[in-house]
Amino acid sequence: MTERVQRMKRLLLDREYRKERSEEILDFSGDIDAQTDYGIFTAYMQKTLENEKPLFYGDDIFGFNRSYAHSAICEDNGQPCFPSHIPCNNTPDYSLLMKPGLDRVMTELRQKPKNDFYDALIKVLELTLAFCDRYRQAALESGNQKLYDALSNVPRNSPTSFYEACLFQKIIIFILRVTKHEHITYGRFDQYMYPYFKADLDRGVSQEELFETLELYFLSINLDTDTYIGMQAGDNGQSMVLGGFDAAGNSVFNELSRMCMEASLELEVIDPKINLRVSKRTPDEHYRLGAQLTKKGLGFPQYCNDDVVVPGLIKLGYAPEDAIDYTVAACWEFIIPGKGLEAPNVTAMNFPLVVREVIDRHLMDSPDFATLMKHVEQGIIDKIEFLRARYNSLEKLRQHRWYRCSPIMSLMTQGCMESGKDFARFGSHYYNLGCHGAGISTAADSLAAVKKMIYDDQSIDKTTLLTALKNNFEGFAPLRNQLLACPKMGSDDDYVDAIAGQIMDYFAKNLNGKPNNIGGIWRAGTGSAMEYVRFGKVTPATPDGRMNGEPLACSFSPTLQAKPKGPLSTIRSFTKFDLSNIINGGPLTMELHSNVFRNTDGEEKVASLVKLFVLSGGHQLQLNTLNRQQLLDAQEHPEKYPNLVVRVWGWSGYFRELDPEYQNHILQRTQFMV
Amino acid sequence: MGAIFSVEEFSTFDGPGIRMTVFMKGCPLRCMWCHNPEGQSFHSQYVRSQNGCLHCGACLAAGGGILTADSISVCPQNLIRLCGTEISPEAMIQEIEGKLWMLNASGGGVTFSGGEPLAQPDFLMSCLDMLEGKTHRAIQTSGFASKEIFAEALKRCEYVLYDLKLMDSELHKKYTGVDNRCILENYRTLATSGKPFITRIPLIPCVNDTLDNITQTAQFMSQLGVTKVELLPYNKAAGAKYKMLGREYITDFDPSVPPQSHTEVFEHYGIGVKIL
Ligand code: SF4
Repeated sequence: MTERVQRMKRLLLDREYRKERSEEILDFSGDIDAQTDYGIFTAYMQKTLENEKPLFYGDDIFGFNRSYAHSAICEDNGQPCFPSHIPCNNTPDYSLLMKPGLDRVMTELRQKPKNDFYDALIKVLELTLAFCDRYRQAALESGNQKLYDALSNVPRNSPTSFYEACLFQKIIIFILRVTKHEHITYGRFDQYMYPYFKADLDRGVSQEELFETLELYFLSINLDTDTYIGMQAGDNGQSMVLGGFDAAGNSVFNELSRMCMEASLELEVIDPKINLRVSKRTPDEHYRLGAQLTKKGLGFPQYCNDDVVVPGLIKLGYAPEDAIDYTVAACWEFIIPGKGLEAPNVTAMNFPLVVREVIDRHLMDSPDFATLMKHVEQGIIDKIEFLRARYNSLEKLRQHRWYRCSPIMSLMTQGCMESGKDFARFGSHYYNLGCHGAGISTAADSLAAVKKMIYDDQSIDKTTLLTALKNNFEGFAPLRNQLLACPKMGSDDDYVDAIAGQIMDYFAKNLNGKPNNIGGIWRAGTGSAMEYVRFGKVTPATPDGRMNGEPLACSFSPTLQAKPKGPLSTIRSFTKFDLSNIINGGPLTMELHSNVFRNTDGEEKVASLVKLFVLSGGHQLQLNTLNRQQLLDAQEHPEKYPNLVVRVWGWSGYFRELDPEYQNHILQRTQFMV
Repeated sequence: MGAIFSVEEFSTFDGPGIRMTVFMKGCPLRCMWCHNPEGQSFHSQYVRSQNGCLHCGACLAAGGGILTADSISVCPQNLIRLCGTEISPEAMIQEIEGKLWMLNASGGGVTFSGGEPLAQPDFLMSCLDMLEGKTHRAIQTSGFASKEIFAEALKRCEYVLYDLKLMDSELHKKYTGVDNRCILENYRTLATSGKPFITRIPLIPCVNDTLDNITQTAQFMSQLGVTKVELLPYNKAAGAKYKMLGREYITDFDPSVPPQSHTEVFEHYGIGVKIL
């Protein structure tokens, strides 16, 4: 790390710079008299930019940080007329602006017929350029020569260096942020940025200099992370996808991909969140790099398996050349950058609730398990139809605050300029909607317990189970303990894993490919987003032994009630299905204790583990190295972390089974990165 | 049949690659610092974890003053479990089999640990035989076994993790309950067998981390041409599991003193040190 990078990192981490921002919340209500979406958009953008002041922090060479911590309000009759977070969770095609530069795009736009759409695009570019000019002047005045020089070229023209390319992107992201676009991701940064990077290398720019630029860029995109609107701090969609394969199956992991990994490793900051595309052909060395990063305890990289994802997307109707260009939306949904407006997280299915409702209603009249499963399928179908009906038209999607027009996103979405239609008005290619499948493990475990105790072993009668569930197991501790001892996902037990397969099959079969009435289809997935808590709260006790309101597993993972045999069994449990059939996204999540990494063998072994996941046909994997925060929480709420395994010296145990003094001891020993 | 108390799937410190480790129940030694007390008895035991306990007493009431199968059933917090399973070698292998390709793909294998695996020779040998040619087999042992049993086990595995605790036989008896003669004898056999192995020393403060003991150990190893050792510094958390068994953790050494590793002594004898 160069001194400059070190200084910048210190500045970032001590957070003092944030004081330079204004905490004031501007109110534009009444100032914006526009009526149309575009009118409001450009008026809001203009007003915001007028208020934004150039802020230069320490050694930052990028600028374009927000001078207001909060977005301005803009209401009409008490209703937000320019709400945030729309559109969100998307990846644009940055190169559509970057390659030609804004001037050329503008020239092209001026030759288009005059209408609201093109006018809005032009207006957005004009406002951007005007703001950049003001910024450039401020850079000069504050002695920031490098930035001043670069702004003489970008964003008007195509970048002439890697630094200018990063700056170009920073400007775009800034514009997106001040116009309330949230969770817009970096996508395949190592691919679209590579030409600029390579040109620098060819011109003789040293690796060290490029690395410093990249590190400074990564730090600069962390400066505003606290101003994002997310479910949790850090939930800001600043994710980046590295690597992947071309149509011929060759790896496109390049020098820049590696450098991004290395910068992330060295900086240890929360953004960008790295996703690594891997496959059977990924060399061990990439897994090792990934494992080193996992060790940092930041929760990334997340892995996506091309062998499963690409065929899965093709099955859903994506063109093969688009499928191989996939990236992930803010969290994990697989989308194609700059090729439409997909809302892969528009809604979510609560499997455990469906199962509980089916059991309440049909357990008594189901003479065998197969009959009960028929009811489960019907329950899933009914829920699918209910959810689809909520979103099956543009009008309804708009009611739910989706599909707002955006001139800036249209500029970076293929086909919009040509078709003259907004990216949210179907000017591009893909308009699919996705439905998460939350709590698959709770649902499967619950049905497995019913199958075993009611139908196979006949060790309890139906009325007793229904009464116990109704009473949240109060007065039924022995029964609950028996239910807890039934087969659970995560232990490589076909008894329950097969049921999970059936549930996913019902879900996929009845949802995938169904039209969504906006020119696209529905996609079924294995994610949960934040629903694992929210759905948990509204779902009463389930036959797997889970009590009222307890959370579900995060995404595609064993429940909190299960005691998985270990990571190998967990991988097997969660890869027994053809995951390419349920490819909206949603990772198997596994926690590793940081002790795994006590010596370098650990990295090697974690690398092997990820490789085994990929070879097993898993679609997406998230590995967490446990951090202090979680252990502290586990101390206060041991019931939430029954499976937290800690390795201390030569032995392993469940964290909750240790005496508090030993827990404290582990807390003291464990080194964590924040 | 064999008695086991746990099977781990990702033990990162029990040999090369990703390994499954079978922890066998029962050990003839009684090391004062033992961190796996549930591995000492050959019999199954009911254990009660402490965290989340409501102290409602239901468990003991159900078992008439002791923990029984009924205690498992009545605990509202699901804190009681039976530690220890009787399992046939066939069933044991069946449990491992589905994951063998994963172990092999990572350059790993199966490790039999404990307790003391050599204390259940029939079960151990059958398992090792069944895994022959299928994966990389290792045993982790205190070496406390007859010459014959040790030789049989050695034939059936590719790798040995061998503990050396104390050189002085009196002290060895005092701290582990047994004489170390056969342990040193078997170590000699191992060191001269040509079989890949690693020596491990649990470093216990003021017990075996003394300059005296370390020097004797290093001398002994170097005479046999051993060139590497792994040290496991004693960890305060070693006593964590005793309460679960309703036992008290009593030591005559001070667990809070950090042990000395005396790496320079090993290095003096040409032995490379890795601290785990
Ligand atoms: S029954 Fe469970 S909660 Fe009650 S005292 Fe026993 S272990 Fe504790």
